[in-house]
Amino acid sequence: MWYFTWILGVLLACSFGIINALWLEHCGCLDDDPAND
Amino acid sequence: MAEFFAFLLSYETLRVIWWLFIGILLIGFAITDGFDLGVGTLLPFLGRNDEERRVIINVVGPTWEGNQVWFILGGGAVFAAWPPVYATAFSGFFIALILTLFAMILRPVGFDYRSKLPDPRWRNFWDWGLFVGGAVPALVFGVAFGNLLRGVPFHFDADLRAYYTGGFFGLLNPFGLLAGVVSLSMLVMHGAVYLQLRTEGEIQQRARQMVALAVKVFVGAFALAGLWLLIGVDGYRLDSFAGVAAPSNPLAKTVVRDGGAWLAQYGQHPWMLLAPLAGFGGAALVWLFSQRQQPGRGFIASSLVLAGVILTAGFSLFPFIMPSSSDPNSSLMVWDATSSHLTLKWMFGVTVVFLPIVLAYTTWVFSKLRGTVTVAQVRAADKVMY
Amino acid sequence: MPLTLGLSFLLAIMESVYVMTGKTVYKDMVRFWGKLFGINFALGVATGITMEFQFGTNWAYYSHYVGDIFGTPLAIEGLMAFFLESTFIGLFFFGWDRLSKVQHLVVTWLVALGSNLSALWILIANGWMQNPVGTVFNPETMRMEMTSFSELLFNPVAQVKFVHTVSAGYVTGAVFVLAISAWYLLKGRDLSFARRSFAIAAAFGLASTLSVITLGDESGYELGDVQKVKLAAIEAMWETEPAPAAFTVFGFPNDETMTTEREFQIPYLLGLIATRSVDTPVLGLKELMAQNETRIRRGMDTYAALEQWRAGVRDDATRAKLLETRNDLGYALLLKKYTPRVVDASEAQIKQAARDTIPRVAPLFWGFRLMVAFGMWMLLLFALSFYYCARRQAGRKRWLLWAAVFSLPLPWLSSELGWFVAEYGRQPWTVSGMLPTHLSASTLSVGQVTFSMSGFVLLYSALLIVELFLMIKYARLGPSSLGTGRYHFENGSSLAPAAPHTAATLL
Ligand code: HDD
Ligand code: HEM
Ligand code: HEM
Repeated sequence: MWYFTWILGVLLACSFGIINALWLEHCGCLDDDPAND
Repeated sequence: MAEFFAFLLSYETLRVIWWLFIGILLIGFAITDGFDLGVGTLLPFLGRNDEERRVIINVVGPTWEGNQVWFILGGGAVFAAWPPVYATAFSGFFIALILTLFAMILRPVGFDYRSKLPDPRWRNFWDWGLFVGGAVPALVFGVAFGNLLRGVPFHFDADLRAYYTGGFFGLLNPFGLLAGVVSLSMLVMHGAVYLQLRTEGEIQQRARQMVALAVKVFVGAFALAGLWLLIGVDGYRLDSFAGVAAPSNPLAKTVVRDGGAWLAQYGQHPWMLLAPLAGFGGAALVWLFSQRQQPGRGFIASSLVLAGVILTAGFSLFPFIMPSSSDPNSSLMVWDATSSHLTLKWMFGVTVVFLPIVLAYTTWVFSKLRGTVTVAQVRAADKVMY
Repeated sequence: MPLTLGLSFLLAIMESVYVMTGKTVYKDMVRFWGKLFGINFALGVATGITMEFQFGTNWAYYSHYVGDIFGTPLAIEGLMAFFLESTFIGLFFFGWDRLSKVQHLVVTWLVALGSNLSALWILIANGWMQNPVGTVFNPETMRMEMTSFSELLFNPVAQVKFVHTVSAGYVTGAVFVLAISAWYLLKGRDLSFARRSFAIAAAFGLASTLSVITLGDESGYELGDVQKVKLAAIEAMWETEPAPAAFTVFGFPNDETMTTEREFQIPYLLGLIATRSVDTPVLGLKELMAQNETRIRRGMDTYAALEQWRAGVRDDATRAKLLETRNDLGYALLLKKYTPRVVDASEAQIKQAARDTIPRVAPLFWGFRLMVAFGMWMLLLFALSFYYCARRQAGRKRWLLWAAVFSLPLPWLSSELGWFVAEYGRQPWTVSGMLPTHLSASTLSVGQVTFSMSGFVLLYSALLIVELFLMIKYARLGPSSLGTGRYHFENGSSLAPAAPHTAATLL
């Protein structure tokens, strides 16, 4: 069932993106220029 | 219960249901995307400067995409339910449809790109693009219906390959053009009432005047078209056919041309007269409500007009969908131009499930985006609004 | 169009992070990439409208012949996907102040879901053209009719096509964001904005590239099952080889002599890819051509029976003949290109029609290899980007950033090549084995076709130029285009309220 694989895969890929951002956010190494909030 | 379902899902009932569904889609299209087309047509005339035009554009800006899907779905549904009609009508009305598509292509880009650059020439160009994208389709849809009522010159060969033998200019006959005026004026009326509802001040006043004008043109044109249908247009009558549940083969019947056939329906089924009545009565109500500054009610009345006019055309033609003037036996009708029974069943199921869902979230979205659009808002949200 | 599929998910990811962390920079990211999304979306809709109607205008006989089954996914696409996507897109752009944070997030996810569902249904339709299951010829109505909706829906070709193609869309979106963010990093602008975009694109892109490659391999496997000619052509396999077949990495296929010159092969590999076994042979083109010739001859018999049927001879023998071999009817239709009277086609015409069932090999062979090469390159790119992101060094690896910038066109090229392989490899058929392309068209005059073609080409080229112009303009302007006062062109000198003029001087 490739449709099923797709559902899982998309969720996985999206969480991967979210987690990567949260993780880098966590160690606070994303900001060093004036254009932050 | 089982009997009811057997009846509901029988081939002949589903054929009628699909005739109704396509009617509903057309009406849905006219009510929702209809006002976008009307507003687009009015844009250069009711908006006198850049900010006013932006107000008008933003009245329909957030919702026109969803509305246009009624049109796209109309195409898809005709394809799925009436493949021979999709094939014959769209290849027959080729140039007319291509022109409509050219015009409609200007809309998405017009809305989205217009205010992204400040140059007045750029903006003016897209304003006229939106005008073309509104007026041309509104006109062409009417012309197409007018020609369906007159019959279209096409025939099939033994492989059921369709041959269209009329030219593009053949479509622009006086009756077809009159039908075009009916449809343009009613969509302009619809768009103008909507503008009256969602704007204020001068634009609203201009929209109100436009409603009055459009109602007059529409009533005159609609009445004239009815009269013409009565005396000047040959209808078609089914002479013999393979039956309401027979396989879809348009060559298995005989059809004759008959002067009064289109209006004979109304004699047999007087309730059908409600459709043209809704057209005339609704138009009177639109005028009344608009003058009294009650555009909300005016919009509902205007929707009634659209439904009435479309049903009038549908009832007159029934059971025909696309009669052939050059070879009447090739005409396409509800009983012999549908998909197979299985396809109709599946499509019926899908529609019954999804159409209510679509209507529910569309209503929610409209309720979130309601309210008037003003020049002050456009100024404040210069980078965000269209 | 492919950009929409991936970018919509990237927007949903960014907005999810915004809702989780509450940092405004993520909202700005959604709004800025959303602006670019909108510019692309408008053109997508403009082309989509014509797509929906071109089957009727230009492919009328096709529409009549297979509309009973092909129209269904198209209509469902409208009802299930276009409505969802297009209704919520307005709220996505204009609903920021009218919805709560979570409501707006849901809207964004729904837009992404809608665009992916639309790809699902269109690819089910397209997958059916490649592998027409669940349908049978009905002599009463002279067309193909649906026999099973679930076979249409669960068509294995449609399934792998869908997953491969949407993954390709995700890769496209990811490369787009990655490349433009890399460019900001190189210019030293809007760093905190660009780093976050880069990180999200790298992670999402890595997952997507991995899946596009695995699923591309799965497409190859499906081809081995149902589209043997296409597979053999992609691999330039002229002769059937003893199992397991060798994989040709490189060579020069020659259509005249039906051989591949100077080929370089890896033993066993193709057999493994295409059949997942060591003992099933992969058929070569010459053998497939011979098989097709047999089918053409059988199809001629079916056609003869059909003509009798139409003439009113509806006895059991005719019916039996017609039903038994109706799957070969399409092969007889190939002869219509050479003779209107299919049943008495000459020997030479039959041979010619059989030759026609084999598409030209070299373009397929090279097209496929280029797509795969680009895929591998992008995998490397994302793997490195992700790695250096995790090591927090991505911003300093200028060679990597430049590589990302220059990879921008690759996903579009790969997708074009992919479509080319899929569609051209299907020729001479519109619907594999059922309806040849030359029969599918409408009965239009040359004038009509020229008018419409030149009109569309002009219009779309003009619109494409306008789109690219706006894209480049807004990409250069970057998040400053939002007018929030927080970004590169806005702080520094007194530029904040005058952003449009900054834009004008930029170009
Ligand atoms: C009757 C013919 C026909 C029909 C109905 C379709 N195609 Fe097709 N398509 C072709 C016949 C064709 C073709 C003639 O075979 C093309 C043109 C040039 C080529 O190499 O293949 C092609 C090219 C082509 C390309 C461009 C490939 C390239 O040259 O880079 C795309 C993206 C698609 N097709 C996609 C589709 C999709 C999604 C379809 C509907 C579901 C579809 N086509 C229906
Ligand atoms: C038979 C071929 C196709 C037809 C008839 C078709 C039709 C359409 C239509 C009518 C729209 C506009 C819908 C709206 O108003 O929102 C559209 C948009 C879209 N289509 Fe297609 N399409 C085709 C092929 C494809 C393919 C092959 C894909 C993807 C793999 C695809 C994915 C999309 C997406 C994601 C959109 C959203 C708008 C955008 O692209 O920006 N379509 N299509
Ligand atoms: C190692 C990598 C890859 C392999 C093995 C692969 C394999 C394939 C195969 C066998 C097909 C033909 C399917 C058919 O004819 O039905 C195909 C089609 C396609 N490929 Fe790839 N591919 C790869 C990478 C990519 C990449 C990187 C992209 C784009 C970003 C891409 C986009 C497409 C598209 C859009 C199609 C047409 C749709 C389809 O038929 O599925 N591919 N690919």
